[in-house]
Amino acid sequence: MRRFQMPPQILRLVLLTLAIVGSYMVARVFLTPATFGQYGWYRGAALEELAARTPVYAGKKACDECHSDILHKLAGDAHKTLSCEACHGVSRTHADDPDILPVKLTGSHCIRCHEANPSRPAWFKQIVVKDHYSGKCTECHIPHQPTQSP
Amino acid sequence: MTSEVTNIVVEVLPRFEGYVYPNEATAHPLWGFLIVLYPYITGLVAGAFIMASLVRVFKVKALEPVYRLSLLTALAFLLCATLPLLFHLGHPERCYEIMITPHLTSPMAIFGFVYAWYLMAVLLLELWFDYRQDLVEWSKTTAGFKGIIYRIFTVGVTDVSPPAVALDVKMGRILSVVGIPSAFLLHGYVGFIFGSIKANPWWGNAIMPIIFILSAIVSGIALCVFNYMVLTWIRRHTVEMRCLDTMAMFLFYALLVDAAVEGLDWIHRIYAAEEGFSVMQTMIREKLFYTLNLGQATIGTLVPFLLLGSLQLLRRRVPEMVRRRMISASAAMILIGVLAMRWNVVIGGQLFSKSLRGVMGYKMEFAGVEGWFMGILLLGLPFVILTVLVKLFLSERLPTSGHTPHGSSTT
Amino acid sequence: MKTQFNRRGALARLGGILAGVLALPVARTAKAAVQRVFVSSGAARGYDPSKHKWLMCIDVNKCIGCGLCAEACKKENGVPEGPYFRTWIERYIIPKPKPGSGQTRGETLVDSPDGGMHGFPESPVPRDQIEHSFFVPKLCNLCEHSPCVQVCPVGATFDAPDGAVLIDPKYCIGCGFCIQACPYGCRFLSPVTKTAEKCTLCYHRITRGLKPACAEICPTQARIFGDLLNPVPDDPIQKFYEQNRVQVLKPYLGTAPRVLYAGLDKEVR
Repeated sequence: MRRFQMPPQILRLVLLTLAIVGSYMVARVFLTPATFGQYGWYRGAALEELAARTPVYAGKKACDECHSDILHKLAGDAHKTLSCEACHGVSRTHADDPDILPVKLTGSHCIRCHEANPSRPAWFKQIVVKDHYSGKCTECHIPHQPTQSP
Repeated sequence: MTSEVTNIVVEVLPRFEGYVYPNEATAHPLWGFLIVLYPYITGLVAGAFIMASLVRVFKVKALEPVYRLSLLTALAFLLCATLPLLFHLGHPERCYEIMITPHLTSPMAIFGFVYAWYLMAVLLLELWFDYRQDLVEWSKTTAGFKGIIYRIFTVGVTDVSPPAVALDVKMGRILSVVGIPSAFLLHGYVGFIFGSIKANPWWGNAIMPIIFILSAIVSGIALCVFNYMVLTWIRRHTVEMRCLDTMAMFLFYALLVDAAVEGLDWIHRIYAAEEGFSVMQTMIREKLFYTLNLGQATIGTLVPFLLLGSLQLLRRRVPEMVRRRMISASAAMILIGVLAMRWNVVIGGQLFSKSLRGVMGYKMEFAGVEGWFMGILLLGLPFVILTVLVKLFLSERLPTSGHTPHGSSTT
Repeated sequence: MKTQFNRRGALARLGGILAGVLALPVARTAKAAVQRVFVSSGAARGYDPSKHKWLMCIDVNKCIGCGLCAEACKKENGVPEGPYFRTWIERYIIPKPKPGSGQTRGETLVDSPDGGMHGFPESPVPRDQIEHSFFVPKLCNLCEHSPCVQVCPVGATFDAPDGAVLIDPKYCIGCGFCIQACPYGCRFLSPVTKTAEKCTLCYHRITRGLKPACAEICPTQARIFGDLLNPVPDDPIQKFYEQNRVQVLKPYLGTAPRVLYAGLDKEVR
């Protein structure tokens, strides 16, 4: 009885194909990152790695720990929506170590928002600085309670 | 961190008109000349393969002299097809990820598999079955380094009995039949990479893959004509006019279909005149004026169309010498024109803002990864590989076996 | 015949190895799937990404174009200098039509010098000739069907379970496909890391219970950040979409953004 014999070139190709597919499968096991597929088609560990960075801005809550009196004043007036760091600058170092003082503020900071600009919404308080007053803003306005005068 | 960054990044503000998103206002488009070359080279591969299939599947006997040359051309270009992609990556060392964790909703992820399939399961196999009988013979008669190479390529199979050879021919034909859809897949998906970007009105287009396939066939046949002419010139052979005329005929009809479909695309764009139409008009009138109107339309389509078309009508009356010149010139112009077409698609799609309110400028540099130098190098490399392949596998000093691609013997 | 037989044996053995190899990654994934909360040292411990759904609402009528958000974003995330922005502000100036032109409005001017992070220069159109003018903050639109995630070839960018669209900087190959696919121009290829970068919603902040830097710093609360799964008392997010008719950018692309705008104009894209 004649047994079926695979032609030599086909057999060689089948073996080669198996070897290639096999090494691909082996490579896949070793090269697929450990957490790949944890949540979806990506490296699950990436979420934690992205979350691991230290925040730069401390946030209003951090300020509230020591300066709740000022925050209370702020909350009662027109600047209640402002974050402390919007004017005082990045203050994480100050929040971590109160001895390091945040940047000293200047009046130019006020006009960043309040300089008149036709693109700004009409409800927003705006002034034309050169027609308004040449001195310091804080001579007439209290930044934490802008509707009151010193 | 910020100060370090300032030192590293030297930004030359590019010229742009109107409004572009801040992230788009970079000095160079994200995808530069390398990505122009990538669809160009894959297109040449697909086209050269289709050209070879004409012999094997459709039994166009007149084209037999270029059968092996077109397969080797396809191989030489396919070996280089990944290089432009690899070089343009931000992290080339991570390229293996595309095979290990391919994200199957991405057209680009399929690339690794389509490429591997096409290279190993189609092209190399077809070449191997076609060459097996010769390889066995050459490995016996050739000494030295070349002999070792032939021996390696036989993969240790030395059976050249008539049934084994008959099987080779049969397998080769099957592979050719499988190869045609594979070639379409290889290049159609390249078109889909662009056609699937709905964010970009220049690219996002359902017939983009078809346009890419058709222009690929045109450029591939043109490349085979070009290579055939160069090879006969170097070897001081006489050109087989029957073969050349047949190639010119297929080139003409491929160009006809390609031009018709591309024309249809343009008519649709102009007639529909959707949201981004005005910004596209600016592009065509200013940014892409030369590459589109002169390169793609005139040099790449109109002139070769007239030259090849007139040959179809008046073939008998045109002297051989003139015919040869006309066909070679058409092939060369088509090769330039298709490159211009790839440029218009890839670079053109990045010369306007996705806000559709402005256009960017692009001036190619000489040096750098996306520069002229690199581009010319990458375009030259396949020809170097092809020279080596021709020396190894199309050498005049080697005896060739009697069988022809579709099984009947020639005398 | 004998060699043939041996080969068959080898084939069978090879097949067995293959089957084992195929099963291995699956088993490992199944094991990993049990753990769902953050445990690593740097991150906020106990954060469960499946228990949140973040979104951002933007009230165009409240934006004053101060640029603090764009500046804060660069500082918070170490975004490279130059034309690289995770968030930015656009200024739209729509002039009045020329008399007798038969138009409702003149040709719209849009600009965003330096992403608006240092504010805006004086309007090129005098105030009395402006019909409408406003600022539009832009950021990642948090698409429900994100085209950027769809096209990433390796799974380096993804929709996190909590709704943030993130990029794995250790896995991104820097091909730029996602940047091409984003209809909103929110991504860029970082010249420093050579990977794609984008707004992460300040993932390191929101997992710690802080607001993203832009929403934290915005003086007028034009940007409202919130969690759809954990409404707070008197939720500003809830209020926002109850009180406003909201729009998204480029809705015809079917990306279904979760960044909702109130007060947009047709010129904004």
